[in-house]
This record gives sequence, C-alpha cells and structure tokens, in this order.
Amino acid sequence: MSFLLSCPLCGPRDVYEFRFGGEAQARPTPGADQRSWGEYLYMRTNVSGVERAWWFHRAGCRRWFQAERDTRTNTVIRTGWAPLGGNLPSGNSSGSDG
Amino acid sequence: MAERLGGGGRAINFSWNGRRHEGRDGDTVASALLADGVEVLSRSFKYHRPRAILCDAGRCPNCMVNVDGIPNVRSCVTPLREGMDVRPQNAWPSIGFDVMSLTDRFNRFLPVGFYYKTFIRPRALWPLYETVLRRAAGIGRIDEHGHPELHPRKRHMFADVAVIGGGPAGCLAALEAAAAGAQVVLIDDQPELGGHLRVRTSEVAGDQRLEGLSGREAAARLRELVAAEPRIEHLADATAAGLYEGNLIGVTQGATFVRLRAPQIVLATGQAERPMLFRDNDRPGIMLASAVLRLVWLQRVRPAPEAVVLTDDDHGWRQATELIAAGVGVTALVDTRPDAAAAGRSVPAERAALRAAGVEILAGARPERALGGRHVTGLRIHTPAGERDLRTGLVALAGRPEPVLSLLAQEGVRARWDDQLGEFVPGDPPAGITVAGHMRGAGEDPLVLAGGALAGRAAGIAARGLAADGTADRIRDHERRVAETVAGRTPPAPLPRPGGGKQFVCFCEDVTAKELKQGIEEGFDTLETLKRYSTVMMGPCQGKMCHGLSARVHAGLADSSPAVTGLTTARPPFQPISIAALAGPHLSRIRRTAMHERHDALGAKWIDMGDWKRPLHYGDVAAEVRAVHEAVGLIDVSTLGALDVSGADAGEFLDWIHPNRFSDLRVGRVRYRAMLDDAGIVIDDGAVARLAAERFFVSTTTGNLDGVDQWLRWWLAGSQRRVAVTDVTGHYAAVNLAGPRAREVMAKVTDLDVSRAAMPYLAAVEGLVAGVPAVILRIGFVGELGFEIHVPADYGAHLWDTLVQAGRPLGLAPFGVEAQRVLRLEKQHAIVGQDTDALSTPLEAGMGWVVKAEKPDFIGRDSSAAVAGRGPRQVLTGFEIVEGGVPAEGAAIVRHGTAIGRVTSSKWSPTLNRAIGLAWLTSDEAVEGRSLTIRLGVGREGQTSSAVVRTRPFYDPDGERLRS
Repeated sequence: MSFLLSCPLCGPRDVYEFRFGGEAQARPTPGADQRSWGEYLYMRTNVSGVERAWWFHRAGCRRWFQAERDTRTNTVIRTGWAPLGGNLPSGNSSGSDG
Repeated sequence: MAERLGGGGRAINFSWNGRRHEGRDGDTVASALLADGVEVLSRSFKYHRPRAILCDAGRCPNCMVNVDGIPNVRSCVTPLREGMDVRPQNAWPSIGFDVMSLTDRFNRFLPVGFYYKTFIRPRALWPLYETVLRRAAGIGRIDEHGHPELHPRKRHMFADVAVIGGGPAGCLAALEAAAAGAQVVLIDDQPELGGHLRVRTSEVAGDQRLEGLSGREAAARLRELVAAEPRIEHLADATAAGLYEGNLIGVTQGATFVRLRAPQIVLATGQAERPMLFRDNDRPGIMLASAVLRLVWLQRVRPAPEAVVLTDDDHGWRQATELIAAGVGVTALVDTRPDAAAAGRSVPAERAALRAAGVEILAGARPERALGGRHVTGLRIHTPAGERDLRTGLVALAGRPEPVLSLLAQEGVRARWDDQLGEFVPGDPPAGITVAGHMRGAGEDPLVLAGGALAGRAAGIAARGLAADGTADRIRDHERRVAETVAGRTPPAPLPRPGGGKQFVCFCEDVTAKELKQGIEEGFDTLETLKRYSTVMMGPCQGKMCHGLSARVHAGLADSSPAVTGLTTARPPFQPISIAALAGPHLSRIRRTAMHERHDALGAKWIDMGDWKRPLHYGDVAAEVRAVHEAVGLIDVSTLGALDVSGADAGEFLDWIHPNRFSDLRVGRVRYRAMLDDAGIVIDDGAVARLAAERFFVSTTTGNLDGVDQWLRWWLAGSQRRVAVTDVTGHYAAVNLAGPRAREVMAKVTDLDVSRAAMPYLAAVEGLVAGVPAVILRIGFVGELGFEIHVPADYGAHLWDTLVQAGRPLGLAPFGVEAQRVLRLEKQHAIVGQDTDALSTPLEAGMGWVVKAEKPDFIGRDSSAAVAGRGPRQVLTGFEIVEGGVPAEGAAIVRHGTAIGRVTSSKWSPTLNRAIGLAWLTSDEAVEGRSLTIRLGVGREGQTSSAVVRTRPFYDPDGERLRS
C-alpha cells in the first residue's frame, strides 16, 4: 500500500502520513437496541470496491477527513471534510454517511 | 588459469575458510579469490555440485558466501575490504570435498517433486524429516550467537524524476530531465555509472556528446556530465528492489533502505545475457561473456588466456570481438543457429575482424556437453560434419540478452512476446513510467541513446508541468524507428529438446531441463504450477537468471509458444534485502522533559514510556516512598498529556465525550475524568480543570496523549460544536509535589495562599510559583497532600531547582515512576492500560461512580447501561500476599486448578512491609478476606503464593491525608 492521499488542507501526501480511521458509518441513536450497537462497533462492510472511510493526517495538520477509495486498486476518487455529501458510485455499497 | 592484470590497487588481506589470501583494491570478494587461485565458491543447493562465478553481476546464486558472519552475501558484487572473514556455505565437511555431492551421482533418488512425494508419510515422522531436511537444504546459516555489524537506516526521498539504471540510456535520461529543470535521482546498482559501456571498447554512435568515443571513454564522459549536473543525485551501489503503486520505489543501498517517490519514473534497467542450455552447463569455467569482460575491465582479473564463445545470436559475435580487445583470445565461436548463413549477418565489421583474428567460426553447431569435472576442460559440440571436442578452459556464454523486465512486471505490466524478435518485450507502462534503452529490445546505439534522452526530456517536462515543446513528436518518430528495427530482427536459435544428463535451467534450486519435462508429464503443465512443483525460479535469484530460459524450455516442452505460455508473476524484491534493512529503525522521536538533565545529574535510571524518557528511580525506591509518606517528594509529570479544550461548547462537548459531567464544574476546580469508547470500555483517564468559563485543561495518561487527541478531534470532525482542541503537552513542564510537608514547601516558593481553606483538595489556581506563571492543581495519585504544578516548559528546570532548594531542609526527595507505582498501589489506584484492558468497564474496574447514567447521551452510555443491567462478571480488586514471593504481572490466580483471575500489578510495599497488588477476579471471588492461591509462573513453575482479597485501599483508606 503506497498510494498518495490528498489531505483537504495539506494536499497530496504519502499515505504513511495518515492513520486509517475505518469505514464511515452512522452512530446509532441513544437507546438503540443492542444489535444496532453490535453492528456499529464490530461489523464492517469490507467492500471490494469504492469505500468511504475516515482518515487522520497524523504527521501533518492532524485533521480528520473522509476519502472515497477503490479498495481493489487504491485509486482515490475524492477526499473532503466530513461528512462527504452525495452518493458513492453505483455498483457497490459501503457504510452509510458518517 | 586466472591471472591478475596490471592496474590494480594496493594489496588487501582477507581470509577464505580460515586461510589468508591477498587481493587488490578494486577487487570484489569473488575476483580476489579467483585471482588468488580459488575458483569454486559454493556448492549447489540440491546436488552440491561445485559452482563458480557465472554472471559476475550479482544475478545468480553461485558466488554466495558468508562474510563476517552474514550469510548469503553475493561475493561477485561485494567490494573486498581489509580483514574480511569469508567462508563457504552449504558444504560439509569442506568446500573441496562435500559429502552431499554424492547426491549428484544418485540423483534418481531425488526426482522432481521429491520432497512432496517422499516426506508425506508416515505423517508422525514429519518432525524428524523436517529437522534432517533443514540441515540438508538450507542455504547459509545464521549465527544465532553472533551480532553482525548491521546499521540499518531508513531514508525518505522525493524527486521530480527518478531514473532507474545508470547505463547510457539512464544517464542521458537523467541529464535531459535535469536540463528541463527537474530534480532527478539516478539509481544504479553499480559502484560507478556507465552500464555496459564500462566493459565495451567499440565506438559509440548516435549522441554528439559521446560521438567517436570508445565505450569505456563514453562511460567516463557520462560520469563527468552527471557529476557536473547539480540537479542529479546519483545513488550508487543502490538497487531499485521494488516498484509500487503511486510511483514509490523501494531502494536498497547497503544497509540503508530508501523510499523514493517520484511523479515520473524512467526505467532503463537494460538487458542481461541469457545462459545457454547443454549438459553440465554449470561447470566452473563456464561463465557469461559479460562476466569475463567485467572481470577483465572492472576487477583487472583475466579468468583464462583463451576462450570458446557460445552464442545463439549476433550478440555473440560482438562479444567475441570485445573479448579479443580485452586480451582474451577466442579460439572458436560456436553459433547455434541452424541457418548458418544468417549467423553474423547484422555485424559485418565484427565478422571480418573475427575472421582476420583467426577465430574458427562454427555456425550451425550446437553444444552437446561440457567436458571436465571440477573445472571445464572443453566443449563437445555437434556440427553438421559430426561431433567434435573443443579443448578450452573457459567457455563464454553469449546468449541473446533479454530485457530486464521485473520492475515493470511488479507494477502489473505484463511482458509481451514478440514473435519476430523472439523475446519478451515490455508491455505498455502506466502513466508516469517510461521504458527506455535496451529494455525495448532494439539494442542499436542510436536508438538506445536517443530513447534514453527523449524519455528523460519528456519526464522532466511532465514533472515540471512545462508546455509541450515538440518532444512528443520526436518520441512518436523514435517509437516508429524502434518498431521498424525490432521488426527487422531475427529470433535467436530455438532451444534444442532437452537431452540426457544435467542441463541446468535454474542454478539456485538445481532444476534441470529433464526435471521440467518430468514435471510437465506429471501434469504440472502451466508455468506457474511447474514453478511451484519443481521450485524452478524459486531460489535466491528469484528467476533473474532463469526466468526467460524457464519460459522458453517450458514452451518448447509443451509444444507451444511463449506467447501462449507466458511468464510467471514478478514480485518485489528484485534483489534479496536483509530483514534488518526492512525492519530497522524507523524514524522515531525521543522526548525528554525540561528537567531531563536534572534527573541525569541525580543518577536517574531511565524507563521509556511512549516517546518519553522518564526516571524509573534514583537508586532507592523504598527511601523515595518513605520520603513521600513522611516528608515530601517531587516527581516530574511533564509527560502527562495536556490538552487545552476551549470554546463556547467545550463544557457540553466534554460532557458528551465522558461518562461524567464537566459543564457544571466551577472555574478553579478539578475533576477526575475517565473516558469510555462506545463499547463502554475505559480507554483513558486523567483530570479536567476549568481555568475559565470556556477554557478547560485536560490531562491524559502519558502514553495516550496522541490517541486522546485523535479521539476528541474525530468526534469534532463534521460537528457544529464550537470547540478547539490544542495539544499543549510540550508547552508545559510539570511536577507533582506530594507529602505531608508539601504545603510548607509551597509556602516558601509562592505568595499565593496555599492554606487548606484557600487551596483545598481539587482546587485549580493560576498564579506565580517560583516567580513564573503556573497552573496549580490540588491533585495527586500517591495518596498524600499534593500540588501538581504546570509552568511554561522553559521554566521547568528553574521550577525544579527552586522546589528542591526550598524542600531539602524539609526532607524533600525526588521520586520516580517505580515509587509512584508503589504509592498508587497502596491506594489501589488502577492505571488505565496497566490494570485495565480492552474488556474493562468502569463498573468492573471499580470506578462505576464516574458513570452518570441519567445524562441523556455520552460515548459509551448504552453499553454501560447494558453492563449495569447484567452486573459485573469480573472485578478489579486489591490483594495482599500472606506467604510466598511477589507474583509477576499476569500471574494466574487459581482455585481447584481453575483460573479465577489474574494479577495486573504487584509490588513490595515498604510502607506496609508486605507485597500487595491489584488483580481481576470473577465477581463472586472478590470478597474481602477471601484467600487466594497465585501461581508464580514463568521461571518459578510449580510455586505458589497465598494471598487474601483486600477491597479497600491499603493506605489511608478514607483519603484524609490526600485531602489534608
């Protein structure tokens, strides 16, 4: 894994400057049932395709942002501040908006 | 017999197999041995056949030796140094007589797939098989007790253009890219630039900078030009071992691993001679023609006065001419192409020169076998006129060179078989990568030189974002000429069907053509399965020597074309890299507090905590503990994380991020904080002080600062809350002054009212201490009256000195982390991360009181409610040892042979004069006074200690001293 990721603040940087923060997903509302919390805490879509995920620019501006990336090719489609609006390209699904 | 030529440097002493030898400056280990009478460098993997220099370029396994305790060193590319201890490997009892070489005679017992077939049953015997096979099979042995002098380093580099390969195409590419204004890194695996020109005497044509120069002169000119160009950084002796996505190049340079990223890469990795296939083609004295030239020109050693040259292409005619120019006579040139008339057609000048030199040309002949045992004595060939033995001590293999395509293949670019050329040529590279020079399959000087220059210019322009300047048109024109040239070429001679005896395809794993044939007959008929079954290409060289040959042999045996059967997948690394170079040290920071030198002067013993260096103790832990309880102690707590959380919504945010409440904290007060994740697990603790209505000072545990900072920022990302989080850890130096006389010390260093009424427990005050601005928090984790004092880091040493001076008459002693742990344990204060783990909820860790379940929402609320509903399953509780030793952390607590808990902390308490600790116990066992049996574990197997459960702090259980 050695692709470049474009931090919305700092621009394109080596992916090793970042920490991967997992799939973007919605936190259950307070009082949600245990199954919802279980899904949120422990289950991941692990999509083979375009995924929307959190990234943290650890060795840079220390800001969290979101990126859409094709997990098969590591092609980064876009990055931006959370929450990224719009829908993911069709043909696959990842977690819902965070 | 090899002989040393003039022009070598000073003498260098080294040893081989314990015996003294002498080489010259400029030698490689292998060339020095060869010149000093040592030809056989290794024994082959399976049959233990003697092996000697084959490629002289670090591409094959033949020259691997142990140097100064480091195994698998390729001695043909390792410069000789004074005092080197060089030893053979894979030979027993000696390199001269190797018992395992008997396998060579009895190899019908070692058929292809031998291991898979033989050692599968009975299954119970596998451990035995494994041990024996390991001994028999391994290449090189690691000295488990030695400590080879490795100093691995990491380097991160960036360039506009990276050029891989320092031959003529690569050098010109670098020069042209630099001329376009680009910063260039030029990677070359040789000690000096010039590539094949360094071993070539024929005139160079096609670039005015090099016009009229011999190859060797042109190489020198290129070196001058590159050295004079400030925009080029040349990495010598550096191998581009891996090409990864995003144009990342992994480069090994000695013990340094370089990560180089460049938006534009020019690949000019050139070509390499292919070995040729005939019986006993591995005899010492049979080497690549390029190896002979390298030995003569680069290391000044002539392996033999005369040679027979064997080729399947006009390349051999050029090499024969070069050998003569290098002082190696050529007695015969054997060209295996069946069409004798085609032989030498494209090289009329060489043809004439060889005739004039009296070289016997044997076109349309093919090699039958090598003659001789430990050293080649001749070559038996089959000619149209019958069999003939050519007597010679040196056979130079000049098979058609094939492009070095591994790096490109790593990028996923499949090589394409060109039927006309009879070679694999590079497929289309992805954007940002250009392929130039000999790799393209058109080896004529003008095309190689122009190709390199144009690729470099285009890469420079692209990397600099300059306007197009006609380079693209010239490249199109150039590509057309390359295509035309390639189309006009004829394929090399086809491979003969493998005959009898050992015709080695793979030198690393001792795989012969016959074994490949057998493998195919057994059904492993694709190259990938054949590879895995026969282990061809799976040795240390990873196919560098045998990939092309294997593909051809396979295609021939399968009655197919390489166009159909293809190549195997290439993966990094291109050359072996030591694990140390990959693993070894990443850039990591070391943090020292502002008082570091003071601790050092006091003789502190250090401990690493996260990035920080902390004093573990100053020599006498018990005395440090005693000072805190009886007088006053001073500890450096600068390493605690400090976050400034400010803004209109800061209080509300802290309420949401924590299970307890902070929005109702009064200015000037401190409150304990424990932080949960949404699974309800304790992930950090510390304190929150409200310094102003909208400004909170949040402390974290020493190792958790980064994680807590990220955690807070994550929950703020995309939120509308008006909160700013700033890491101010490095801004402050901090100490905790603790003990019954702490207040007396404070009174001497500040004008603030430090009385119990004015500055009670959990007060937070800003004011001058020791004359400098400070934040004072009335907290402590050591069970005594305590003042935590934060000052700007520049004043840290001053604060320390002032407190030590004021406190000394009152019995002040500095204390370290070890004493602090003892003191905390006496109070049964859990340390998050030490006494808690990824399953620890606050209810079970004895801090259930922090969870304010009535709050509408906070991180971890629903999970905490669920835990409260089911009740605690395990409980963190104190224990004291009644009889027996102090258990180690992690020791098991058992009842009737079943584990009921485990120890997380345990120390000897000088205060209580007994061992105490904290442990997780199943909740039914965590009853005051219950007796426990603790297994002492590793190193003390079979021993136990008796303990009893203590649920309340051992020292000052009601916290009166803390609040005093």
